[in-house]
Amino acid sequence: MTPLPATFRESLASAAVREGLADGVFTRLSSPIGRLLVVSGPDGICRISFEEEPEDVTLAEVALRLGPRIVASDAELASTRDALSGYLEGDAGDLRGIAVDLRLVSSPFRRTVLETLRREVGPGHTTAYGVLAASAGHPRAARAVGTAMARNPVPIVVPCHRVLPGSGGLGNYGGGPARKRALLELEGSLASPLSP
Amino acid sequence: MATVVLPPFWSLVELHGDELLAHARRLAGDGDAEDILQEAFLRALRAYPRLRHADHLRAWLYRVTTTTAYDAHRSRRRERPTAKPPAVTVEPEHYDGAFEALIEPLPESAQVALRLRFIEDLDYDGVAAALGCSSVAARQRVSTAVRSLRKQVAA
Repeated sequence: MTPLPATFRESLASAAVREGLADGVFTRLSSPIGRLLVVSGPDGICRISFEEEPEDVTLAEVALRLGPRIVASDAELASTRDALSGYLEGDAGDLRGIAVDLRLVSSPFRRTVLETLRREVGPGHTTAYGVLAASAGHPRAARAVGTAMARNPVPIVVPCHRVLPGSGGLGNYGGGPARKRALLELEGSLASPLSP
Repeated sequence: MATVVLPPFWSLVELHGDELLAHARRLAGDGDAEDILQEAFLRALRAYPRLRHADHLRAWLYRVTTTTAYDAHRSRRRERPTAKPPAVTVEPEHYDGAFEALIEPLPESAQVALRLRFIEDLDYDGVAAALGCSSVAARQRVSTAVRSLRKQVAA
Protein backbone atom coordinates (compact mmCIF):
# COMPACT_ATOMS: atom_id res chain seq x y z
CA MET A 1 0.00 0.00 0.00
CA THR A 2 1.39 3.40 -0.95
CA PRO A 3 1.78 5.62 2.08
CA LEU A 4 -0.03 8.92 2.09
CA PRO A 5 2.43 11.38 0.47
CA ALA A 6 3.71 14.25 2.62
CA THR A 7 2.51 16.68 -0.04
CA PHE A 8 -0.98 15.27 0.34
CA ARG A 9 -0.91 15.78 4.10
CA GLU A 10 0.26 19.38 3.76
CA SER A 11 -2.32 20.11 1.09
CA LEU A 12 -5.12 18.62 3.19
CA ALA A 13 -4.08 20.51 6.32
CA SER A 14 -3.80 23.82 4.43
CA ALA A 15 -7.22 23.32 2.87
CA ALA A 16 -8.68 22.54 6.29
CA VAL A 17 -7.17 25.71 7.78
CA ARG A 18 -8.27 27.81 4.79
CA GLU A 19 -11.85 26.57 5.09
CA GLY A 20 -11.96 27.17 8.84
CA LEU A 21 -12.20 23.45 9.55
CA ALA A 22 -9.21 23.15 11.89
CA ASP A 23 -9.63 23.67 15.64
CA GLY A 24 -5.88 23.34 16.07
CA VAL A 25 -2.70 22.77 14.08
CA PHE A 26 0.38 20.90 15.26
CA THR A 27 3.90 20.40 14.01
CA ARG A 28 6.85 18.29 15.11
CA LEU A 29 10.18 20.01 15.39
CA SER A 30 13.63 18.50 15.82
CA SER A 31 15.84 20.61 18.03
CA PRO A 32 19.03 20.41 20.10
CA ILE A 33 16.89 19.65 23.16
CA GLY A 34 15.01 16.86 21.42
CA ARG A 35 11.89 16.60 19.37
CA LEU A 36 9.16 19.05 20.28
CA LEU A 37 5.46 18.87 19.59
CA VAL A 38 4.06 22.35 19.02
CA VAL A 39 0.30 22.92 18.92
CA SER A 40 -1.38 26.13 17.85
CA GLY A 41 -4.96 27.13 18.65
CA PRO A 42 -6.93 29.96 17.08
CA ASP A 43 -5.05 32.66 19.00
CA GLY A 44 -1.53 31.28 19.13
CA ILE A 45 0.62 28.47 20.47
CA CYS A 46 -1.26 26.68 23.23
CA ARG A 47 0.93 23.64 23.90
CA ILE A 48 4.52 22.56 23.55
CA SER A 49 5.57 19.12 24.73
CA PHE A 50 8.91 17.37 25.00
CA GLU A 51 9.58 14.03 23.36
CA GLU A 52 9.12 11.99 26.55
CA GLU A 53 5.49 13.02 26.73
CA PRO A 54 3.29 10.66 24.72
CA GLU A 55 2.12 12.58 21.70
CA ASP A 56 -1.30 10.93 21.51
CA VAL A 57 -2.01 11.89 25.11
CA THR A 58 -0.94 15.50 24.53
CA LEU A 59 -3.04 15.82 21.38
CA ALA A 60 -6.06 14.21 23.04
CA GLU A 61 -5.82 16.71 25.90
CA VAL A 62 -5.56 19.60 23.48
CA ALA A 63 -8.50 18.26 21.44
CA LEU A 64 -10.67 18.27 24.57
CA ARG A 65 -10.11 22.00 24.95
CA LEU A 66 -9.82 23.23 21.36
CA GLY A 67 -12.11 20.77 19.61
CA PRO A 68 -11.33 17.49 17.84
CA ARG A 69 -10.44 18.88 14.43
CA ILE A 70 -6.69 18.84 14.96
CA VAL A 71 -4.49 18.73 11.85
CA ALA A 72 -0.74 18.59 11.27
CA SER A 73 1.08 21.13 9.14
CA ASP A 74 4.66 22.34 9.00
CA ALA A 75 3.74 25.05 6.48
CA GLU A 76 0.94 26.60 8.53
CA LEU A 77 3.30 26.95 11.49
CA ALA A 78 6.37 27.88 9.47
CA SER A 79 7.08 31.19 11.20
CA THR A 80 6.80 29.62 14.65
CA ARG A 81 9.05 26.75 13.56
CA ASP A 82 11.64 29.18 12.24
CA ALA A 83 11.60 31.31 15.38
CA LEU A 84 11.84 28.30 17.70
CA SER A 85 14.54 26.55 15.67
CA GLY A 86 16.60 29.72 15.46
CA TYR A 87 16.27 30.34 19.16
CA LEU A 88 17.13 26.76 20.14
CA GLU A 89 20.15 26.82 17.88
CA GLY A 90 21.37 29.94 19.62
CA ASP A 91 20.41 32.90 17.44
CA ALA A 92 19.69 34.89 20.63
CA GLY A 93 16.23 35.79 19.39
CA ASP A 94 13.30 36.77 21.56
CA LEU A 95 10.32 34.44 21.35
CA ARG A 96 7.93 37.14 22.47
CA GLY A 97 6.99 37.65 18.82
CA ILE A 98 5.21 34.29 18.92
CA ALA A 99 1.55 34.59 19.88
CA VAL A 100 0.62 32.42 22.83
CA ASP A 101 -2.83 31.11 23.71
CA LEU A 102 -3.13 30.14 27.38
CA ARG A 103 -6.60 28.63 27.18
CA LEU A 104 -5.29 25.30 28.44
CA VAL A 105 -4.55 26.96 31.76
CA SER A 106 -7.79 26.73 33.69
CA SER A 107 -6.72 28.64 36.80
CA PRO A 108 -6.87 32.44 36.42
CA PHE A 109 -4.06 32.78 38.97
CA ARG A 110 -1.74 30.53 37.02
CA ARG A 111 -2.61 32.31 33.79
CA THR A 112 -1.75 35.67 35.35
CA VAL A 113 1.56 34.32 36.62
CA LEU A 114 2.48 32.91 33.20
CA GLU A 115 1.51 36.14 31.45
CA THR A 116 3.55 38.17 33.92
CA LEU A 117 6.56 35.91 33.47
CA ARG A 118 6.43 36.14 29.71
CA ARG A 119 6.01 39.91 29.73
CA GLU A 120 8.61 40.74 32.35
CA VAL A 121 11.42 38.20 32.19
CA GLY A 122 13.18 38.34 28.85
CA PRO A 123 16.00 36.20 27.52
CA GLY A 124 19.23 36.54 29.49
CA HIS A 125 17.31 37.30 32.68
CA THR A 126 16.09 35.07 35.46
CA THR A 127 13.79 35.52 38.40
CA ALA A 128 12.84 33.65 41.58
CA TYR A 129 9.54 32.03 42.47
CA GLY A 130 8.90 34.54 45.26
CA VAL A 131 9.81 37.53 43.09
CA LEU A 132 7.50 36.37 40.32
CA ALA A 133 4.72 35.83 42.86
CA ALA A 134 5.12 39.44 43.98
CA SER A 135 5.20 40.73 40.38
CA ALA A 136 1.94 38.90 39.71
CA GLY A 137 0.39 40.60 42.73
CA HIS A 138 0.52 37.66 45.16
CA PRO A 139 3.72 38.08 47.17
CA ARG A 140 3.01 35.13 49.49
CA ALA A 141 2.25 32.67 46.71
CA ALA A 142 5.75 31.45 45.83
CA ARG A 143 4.71 27.80 46.16
CA ALA A 144 1.66 28.31 43.94
CA VAL A 145 3.92 29.99 41.40
CA GLY A 146 5.99 26.79 41.46
CA THR A 147 2.87 24.84 40.57
CA ALA A 148 2.06 27.29 37.78
CA MET A 149 5.53 26.72 36.36
CA ALA A 150 5.28 22.94 36.69
CA ARG A 151 2.01 22.98 34.78
CA ASN A 152 3.03 25.51 32.14
CA PRO A 153 1.55 24.13 28.90
CA VAL A 154 3.83 26.23 26.70
CA PRO A 155 7.37 25.76 28.01
CA ILE A 156 10.27 27.55 26.26
CA VAL A 157 7.94 30.21 24.76
CA VAL A 158 6.50 31.01 28.18
CA PRO A 159 9.92 30.91 29.82
CA CYS A 160 9.41 28.97 33.04
CA HIS A 161 13.04 27.86 32.73
CA ARG A 162 13.97 31.40 33.82
CA VAL A 163 12.39 30.94 37.24
CA LEU A 164 14.88 29.68 39.83
CA PRO A 165 14.67 28.91 43.53
CA GLY A 166 15.55 31.88 45.75
CA SER A 167 17.78 29.55 47.75
CA GLY A 168 20.07 28.89 44.80
CA GLY A 169 20.44 26.07 42.31
CA LEU A 170 18.41 25.46 39.20
CA GLY A 171 15.33 23.94 40.77
CA ASN A 172 12.84 21.77 38.96
CA TYR A 173 11.76 21.79 35.35
CA GLY A 174 8.97 19.96 33.58
CA GLY A 175 11.35 18.99 30.79
CA GLY A 176 14.02 17.87 33.28
CA PRO A 177 16.94 19.80 34.82
CA ALA A 178 19.26 19.12 31.87
CA ARG A 179 16.94 21.02 29.52
CA LYS A 180 16.56 23.87 31.99
CA ARG A 181 20.33 24.17 32.14
CA ALA A 182 20.62 23.95 28.35
CA LEU A 183 18.07 26.74 27.84
CA LEU A 184 19.71 28.97 30.43
CA GLU A 185 23.14 28.37 28.89
CA LEU A 186 21.71 29.23 25.49
CA GLU A 187 20.57 32.54 26.91
CA GLY A 188 23.88 33.17 28.66
CA SER A 189 22.17 33.25 32.05
CA LEU A 190 24.23 30.71 33.93
CA ALA A 191 27.45 32.65 34.16
CA SER A 192 25.84 35.80 35.51
CA PRO A 193 24.51 36.18 39.07
CA LEU A 194 20.81 35.66 39.40
CA SER A 195 18.85 38.87 39.08
CA PRO A 196 16.47 39.51 41.96
CA MET B 1 -26.43 12.90 26.80
CA ALA B 2 -22.83 11.98 27.57
CA THR B 3 -20.19 14.10 25.91
CA VAL B 4 -18.63 12.33 22.96
CA VAL B 5 -14.85 12.21 23.15
CA LEU B 6 -13.55 12.14 19.61
CA PRO B 7 -9.89 11.44 18.93
CA PRO B 8 -7.85 14.27 17.36
CA PHE B 9 -8.80 14.12 13.69
CA TRP B 10 -5.22 13.81 12.47
CA SER B 11 -4.76 10.54 14.33
CA LEU B 12 -7.39 9.12 11.96
CA VAL B 13 -5.51 10.52 8.95
CA GLU B 14 -2.29 8.93 10.20
CA LEU B 15 -3.89 5.60 11.12
CA HIS B 16 -6.14 5.09 8.10
CA GLY B 17 -4.87 7.48 5.42
CA ASP B 18 -2.82 4.87 3.56
CA GLU B 19 -5.63 2.37 3.20
CA LEU B 20 -8.15 5.10 2.38
CA LEU B 21 -5.89 6.28 -0.43
CA ALA B 22 -5.82 2.72 -1.76
CA HIS B 23 -9.62 2.65 -1.47
CA ALA B 24 -9.89 5.97 -3.35
CA ARG B 25 -7.61 4.55 -6.05
CA ARG B 26 -9.86 1.54 -6.46
CA LEU B 27 -12.87 3.83 -6.74
CA ALA B 28 -11.51 6.62 -8.88
CA GLY B 29 -8.22 5.52 -10.41
CA ASP B 30 -4.71 6.78 -9.71
CA GLY B 31 -5.19 10.19 -11.32
CA ASP B 32 -8.09 11.36 -9.17
CA ALA B 33 -7.55 9.40 -5.97
CA GLU B 34 -5.75 12.13 -4.02
CA ASP B 35 -8.31 14.80 -4.97
CA ILE B 36 -11.14 12.48 -3.97
CA LEU B 37 -9.49 11.61 -0.67
CA GLN B 38 -8.75 15.25 0.18
CA GLU B 39 -12.38 16.17 -0.49
CA ALA B 40 -13.50 13.17 1.56
CA PHE B 41 -11.33 14.24 4.52
CA LEU B 42 -12.67 17.80 4.29
CA ARG B 43 -16.23 16.48 4.27
CA ALA B 44 -15.36 14.33 7.25
CA LEU B 45 -13.88 17.37 9.05
CA ARG B 46 -17.10 19.33 8.45
CA ALA B 47 -19.15 16.56 10.02
CA TYR B 48 -16.67 15.48 12.69
CA PRO B 49 -17.70 17.69 15.63
CA ARG B 50 -21.33 16.66 15.11
CA LEU B 51 -20.72 12.90 15.29
CA ARG B 52 -22.81 11.38 18.02
CA HIS B 53 -20.38 8.63 18.91
CA ALA B 54 -16.77 7.71 18.30
CA ASP B 55 -17.37 4.12 17.20
CA HIS B 56 -16.46 2.74 13.80
CA LEU B 57 -14.58 5.85 12.70
CA ARG B 58 -12.52 3.88 10.19
CA ALA B 59 -15.66 2.49 8.56
CA TRP B 60 -17.20 5.94 8.60
CA LEU B 61 -14.18 7.34 6.71
CA TYR B 62 -14.48 4.51 4.17
CA ARG B 63 -18.11 5.46 3.71
CA VAL B 64 -17.36 9.17 3.29
CA THR B 65 -14.62 8.34 0.75
CA THR B 66 -16.94 6.05 -1.19
CA THR B 67 -19.70 8.67 -1.29
CA THR B 68 -17.26 11.40 -2.31
CA ALA B 69 -15.95 9.26 -5.17
CA TYR B 70 -19.45 8.55 -6.44
CA ASP B 71 -20.50 12.18 -6.15
CA ALA B 72 -17.41 13.25 -8.10
CA HIS B 73 -18.09 10.61 -10.68
CA ARG B 74 -21.73 11.69 -11.06
CA SER B 75 -20.91 15.38 -11.32
CA ARG B 76 -18.20 14.70 -13.89
CA ARG B 77 -20.65 12.73 -15.94
CA ARG B 78 -23.16 15.58 -15.79
CA GLU B 79 -20.56 18.15 -16.76
CA ARG B 80 -18.96 16.22 -19.57
CA PRO B 81 -21.34 13.65 -20.98
CA THR B 82 -18.93 12.59 -23.70
CA ALA B 83 -15.74 13.01 -21.77
CA LYS B 84 -13.21 10.27 -21.21
CA PRO B 85 -14.59 7.16 -19.59
CA PRO B 86 -14.23 7.12 -15.82
CA ALA B 87 -11.70 4.89 -14.12
CA VAL B 88 -12.15 1.26 -14.92
CA THR B 89 -12.81 0.27 -11.35
CA VAL B 90 -15.88 2.46 -11.25
CA GLU B 91 -17.10 1.55 -14.67
CA PRO B 92 -15.67 -1.22 -16.81
CA GLU B 93 -15.07 -0.37 -20.44
CA HIS B 94 -18.21 -2.06 -21.62
CA TYR B 95 -20.26 -0.17 -19.06
CA ASP B 96 -22.76 2.10 -20.79
CA GLY B 97 -24.72 3.71 -17.98
CA ALA B 98 -27.60 1.24 -18.20
CA PHE B 99 -26.86 -0.03 -14.72
CA GLU B 100 -27.11 3.48 -13.21
CA ALA B 101 -30.39 4.02 -15.05
CA LEU B 102 -31.65 0.70 -13.74
CA ILE B 103 -30.84 1.34 -10.10
CA GLU B 104 -31.71 5.04 -10.16
CA PRO B 105 -35.26 4.57 -8.74
CA LEU B 106 -33.95 2.59 -5.74
CA PRO B 107 -33.13 4.20 -2.40
CA GLU B 108 -29.60 5.62 -2.22
CA SER B 109 -28.52 2.98 0.32
CA ALA B 110 -29.54 0.21 -2.07
CA GLN B 111 -27.79 1.94 -4.96
CA VAL B 112 -24.57 2.20 -3.00
CA ALA B 113 -24.69 -1.47 -2.00
CA LEU B 114 -25.27 -2.54 -5.59
CA ARG B 115 -22.50 -0.33 -6.99
CA LEU B 116 -20.00 -1.60 -4.43
CA ARG B 117 -20.84 -5.21 -5.20
CA PHE B 118 -21.37 -5.16 -8.94
CA ILE B 119 -19.63 -2.09 -10.35
CA GLU B 120 -16.73 -1.97 -8.00
CA ASP B 121 -16.76 -5.75 -7.81
CA LEU B 122 -15.95 -5.88 -4.12
CA ASP B 123 -16.50 -9.10 -2.20
CA TYR B 124 -18.75 -8.96 0.85
CA ASP B 125 -15.86 -8.15 3.16
CA GLY B 126 -14.98 -5.24 0.89
CA VAL B 127 -18.58 -4.06 0.79
CA ALA B 128 -18.70 -4.38 4.58
CA ALA B 129 -15.57 -2.25 4.97
CA ALA B 130 -16.93 0.41 2.64
CA LEU B 131 -20.32 0.51 4.35
CA GLY B 132 -18.98 0.21 7.86
CA CYS B 133 -21.02 -2.89 8.73
CA SER B 134 -20.41 -6.59 9.24
CA SER B 135 -19.89 -8.94 6.36
CA VAL B 136 -23.23 -10.61 7.13
CA ALA B 137 -25.01 -7.26 7.13
CA ALA B 138 -23.30 -6.34 3.85
CA ARG B 139 -24.56 -9.57 2.28
CA GLN B 140 -28.06 -8.77 3.54
CA ARG B 141 -27.94 -5.21 2.21
CA VAL B 142 -26.84 -6.37 -1.20
CA SER B 143 -29.43 -9.14 -1.36
CA THR B 144 -32.20 -6.80 -0.20
CA ALA B 145 -31.10 -4.35 -2.86
CA VAL B 146 -31.11 -7.08 -5.50
CA ARG B 147 -34.66 -8.06 -4.46
CA SER B 148 -35.78 -4.43 -4.74
CA LEU B 149 -34.15 -4.24 -8.12
CA ARG B 150 -35.96 -7.40 -9.29
CA LYS B 151 -39.28 -5.93 -8.17
CA GLN B 152 -38.41 -2.67 -9.85
CA VAL B 153 -37.59 -4.42 -13.12
CA ALA B 154 -40.68 -6.63 -12.95
CA ALA B 155 -43.02 -3.73 -12.22
